[in-house]
Amino acid sequence: MEIEIKDYQGMKVMILSGEIDMYSSPTLREKMMDLIDNRVTPLFVDFKGVSYIDSSGIATFVEGFKRMMSYGGRLKLIGLLEMVREIFAFSKLDKVFEIYGTFEDALIR
Amino acid sequence: MKDSVVIKVQSNPKYLSLVRSVTAKMGELYGLSESTTEDIKLAVDEACSNVIKHAYGGDTHQSILVKYRMTKKGFEVLIEDNGIKVQPESIEGRSLNDIRPGGLGVHLIKRAFDFYQFDQRKRRGNRLRLVSFKK
Repeated sequence: MEIEIKDYQGMKVMILSGEIDMYSSPTLREKMMDLIDNRVTPLFVDFKGVSYIDSSGIATFVEGFKRMMSYGGRLKLIGLLEMVREIFAFSKLDKVFEIYGTFEDALIR
Repeated sequence: MKDSVVIKVQSNPKYLSLVRSVTAKMGELYGLSESTTEDIKLAVDEACSNVIKHAYGGDTHQSILVKYRMTKKGFEVLIEDNGIKVQPESIEGRSLNDIRPGGLGVHLIKRAFDFYQFDQRKRRGNRLRLVSFKK
């Protein structure tokens, strides 16, 4: 998996690509928690290039989300492919996370 | 020789992508639908991740054996390790309404497979038998 962190008008965007599994999620967790420890908000996560996610990946986002809630931060997930969105839905997390089709949608809400 | 495929991988998470690739190919070879194959691929990945975490306690130098076969009942996957005996009740998933990290893997396994059972006859380690019945 590849992780790129970009700045957009002072906001942070994590752009992910590849597969998120037990092998790659520790790296993802480290990078995401670095941002969250700095109380970043909102944090945009671009999923368009993510073709696979397992429960370790889901757990990473749940942990990040909970930590962000503690300081009123907002985690915005963007462009989930069908397989990935379906796992969030099965986990009942699609009702918990802010999920958007495009970056523009995530930006204005 | 029975119509089956067996792979043996090191208990290192970097090989999970290999297990997924083989699982997806087996689903394709056995004529499973694309969505069933996706679910099974994820479930086998979760089961192997559980072996690494629970049976081997994170030790990445052990081995995991994954056996695939098509039987009269359906698509069967056996996952074997030589680690600590897992008490099935200890890896029950969390309630899906309880939003917290972890506890999702077992749900994803049971979603994909109609049959999920640890073979208690295996003396050392674990043998998890998963079957997706023919529809």
